[in-house]
Amino acid sequence: MNLKLRTDDPLAPAEPANRSWTRHDAAHLLRRTGFGATVTEIDRAVDEGLEATLQRRLAPQPESEEFDQVARLLRNTAHQTGSIGDLKAWWFYRMRYTANSLVERMALLWHDHFATSYGKVQSVKQMAAQNDAFRRHALGDFRELLHEMSRDVAMLVWLDGNANRKRHPNENFAREVMELFSLGIGNYTEADIIEAARAFSGWHVRKGEFWFNELQHDTGEKTVFGRTGNLNGEDVIELCLEQPACPRFIAVKLLRYFVQPEPQEELVAALADRIRAHNFQITPVLGELFRSRAFWAESSRLALIKSPVDLVVGSQRSLEVRSNLNASAEALAKLGQDLFQPPTVKGWDGGRDWISTTTMILRINFATELAGGERFGEMPHPAALARQLGAGSREEVVTQIAAFLLGREPATEETHELAAAYQQAGGDRTARIRSLLQIVLSTPDYQLT
Amino acid sequence: MRLNRRLFLEQAGACGLLSLGVAPPALLSRMARAGENSANDRILVVVELAGGNDGLNTVIPYGDDVYHRSRPGIAIPQTNLLRIDDYLGLHPSLRELKDRYDNGSVAIVQGVGYPNPDRSHFRSMDIWHSAQPENESPQIGWLGAALDHDAQRRSGEMPALAIGSQERPLAVTAYDVNVPNVQSLEEYRLQPGAADAERAAARQRVLGQLADQQAPQGSDLEFLRRTTRTALQSARKIEEVLARGAGNIKYPATGLGQKLHAVSRVIASDLGTRIFFVSLGGFDTHSQQQGAHQGLLAELSGAVNAFFQDLEQQHLDERVLLVTFSEFGRRVHENGSLGTDHGAASQMFVMGPDTNGGLVGEHPSLNDLTQGDLKHHTDFRSVYATLLENWLQIPAEPVLGKQFPKLNFVST
Repeated sequence: MNLKLRTDDPLAPAEPANRSWTRHDAAHLLRRTGFGATVTEIDRAVDEGLEATLQRRLAPQPESEEFDQVARLLRNTAHQTGSIGDLKAWWFYRMRYTANSLVERMALLWHDHFATSYGKVQSVKQMAAQNDAFRRHALGDFRELLHEMSRDVAMLVWLDGNANRKRHPNENFAREVMELFSLGIGNYTEADIIEAARAFSGWHVRKGEFWFNELQHDTGEKTVFGRTGNLNGEDVIELCLEQPACPRFIAVKLLRYFVQPEPQEELVAALADRIRAHNFQITPVLGELFRSRAFWAESSRLALIKSPVDLVVGSQRSLEVRSNLNASAEALAKLGQDLFQPPTVKGWDGGRDWISTTTMILRINFATELAGGERFGEMPHPAALARQLGAGSREEVVTQIAAFLLGREPATEETHELAAAYQQAGGDRTARIRSLLQIVLSTPDYQLT
Repeated sequence: MRLNRRLFLEQAGACGLLSLGVAPPALLSRMARAGENSANDRILVVVELAGGNDGLNTVIPYGDDVYHRSRPGIAIPQTNLLRIDDYLGLHPSLRELKDRYDNGSVAIVQGVGYPNPDRSHFRSMDIWHSAQPENESPQIGWLGAALDHDAQRRSGEMPALAIGSQERPLAVTAYDVNVPNVQSLEEYRLQPGAADAERAAARQRVLGQLADQQAPQGSDLEFLRRTTRTALQSARKIEEVLARGAGNIKYPATGLGQKLHAVSRVIASDLGTRIFFVSLGGFDTHSQQQGAHQGLLAELSGAVNAFFQDLEQQHLDERVLLVTFSEFGRRVHENGSLGTDHGAASQMFVMGPDTNGGLVGEHPSLNDLTQGDLKHHTDFRSVYATLLENWLQIPAEPVLGKQFPKLNFVST
């Protein structure tokens, strides 16, 4: 009986027989747990196997001295200029060059989840401090993160904390903590929100710091989710975490971000169980997820539409472009993912909403410039890429580069088209490879990951 | 009844025109096309006022004491407004629109809404875009559905266009037609990169071939390939628009002014686009609304006026009807911060030389409210039905799911 349940479990580790370990498999893991993947990283992952590769992704890796220095410099610059553009460049640098890709990827997920915009906060320092919290808890404890966000200065400014006073409760934070941060619509009542707002009253900001304004805190009796007492904000957060809807809500977020856009009910339920069992610890949950059948299923491969960050950071990482940080961060904004400025408190809708004819044209133009120009950074010699891939003949160059970028073997027809284009591109080998890269990076197929 | 190309050829064939060979093929096809155009060259421009426009401070029932009593801080003084009659006047910022109203080319459809109004922006906007109030997650919009039901318009490469937004509005989303959205004309072009134009064109050809491959129906890959194809096609069309240059009418330097200027440029390029969608945001005036609302109405009035002046100069105005909508009106009573909260029924403007100008329907009563909001007496789908059947000549029932009484603001 137990054994049978186990085999039905979509989170059961993929059987070794179903867990092939080709270059495409290694790339699937690397791209989903980071941003793009270089040829060298794929080679190493193929050599070392799934378990060692995954361990390296989940455990903290030392950053290079150069990385720490440059990151510090960029961060200080942002603080000194007070320009959000400089803070965007700093985060872009981290995503592009970090040795801990999964940490930055999770920080990005939490930024989307607790979507706060500089547009209202108007403080680089506060946006940066919130971002540090996302990174600190990226692979840590969701419970702590949720508590910390309820006292986060940028969040309090964003959702009108100071307007939440004893006799004039403001529901903004109380509503979003349930609707968007922990439970989802339909899992609370309007009465829960009104009462919870009173529990958070007096959670204010003073001189840029969290301040418990005792005089404005309502100490009366409140009832939230049927629990009555002199509840405060911390109690409400704990009550949210206790709701069965909470692990489910987080499960859906993780699945849509890492596995597939429309996860089946049994998969959601299974992951919610694991989140509860691991007491909201993210690392072991992700460990199970990345070993699971669901993650390795054919239907999860190339099943997600690349976000602008996937496209811009991922392409630059894969091709080892020396990124021009400001231009690249601006490209993200144009493509619809302006870091530190999500469109609403709901964050980015993602999926198909990333794609319209306008953004498709912008994506094609990005590809054209990335592989053909230098506005977004300098690409290493294109012939080096062919060499790394072990491609010698014209045919090999075309198929290997297409396979590397598309994450699958190109179809006969595609190889045919690309080979003809390569032939006709003119110029020397370098020019031909650049032209080939421009085409492949522009394809609709490349927008999947 | 529309005389479409196929029908024309059938009729021509039936009366022996074809078999006798009296008309050379080129002439025939020109006649067939002329037949199409006479029914089909009408253009609908939909202007969304996003955020919930305060209809009561737009078309103002100044003759009602309840209006002044309900809005002591934000009521428009009677001396300033642009009088329509002894009861109603337009907000003073709508000067150009009032001139056009006086000329008989503006209809004001009053008391428009739908049953059980939803006061959430997202939800109510979905309802107005889809015209399916009972559908909680609509996939297509009412204009999209109209394209799906109209095989002839569907056959064009760019039957509809959304201008000024990065995302495609739900209203123009269809199952069978991929409607492009152009954020700005100037940026809607494929950059050649460092290569010469010829090589860039060659790359685009290959990209077109690759995007043309089959993909599983309904998959993201199919969606991506289809969007890429539409992007490539529409970018070529927009190239034509850009090559033609802009006219010499000065548009106000506002967001809506620029968007409607772009619409006019596309219309003038005669690419066969019949439906346009643009949006003006910022109407969610919860606090200190006077200045903001005044600015927004001035933007609307100035932009639509320049737009029609431009069309008039090019003798294109008779082909165009422009309609405004907003997801809801606002509460009758002002709130505590000199603003207004989400409400229900409101008005729609319909403009163009073919409009039967004037007031359509009564102003809703200020004494008979539901939850502090105006009651609607005209379903917005009646307005849609009129626009579809009388103007675009597309049967409305298949699009809207049932019959709605038509209004008289535009004749067949």
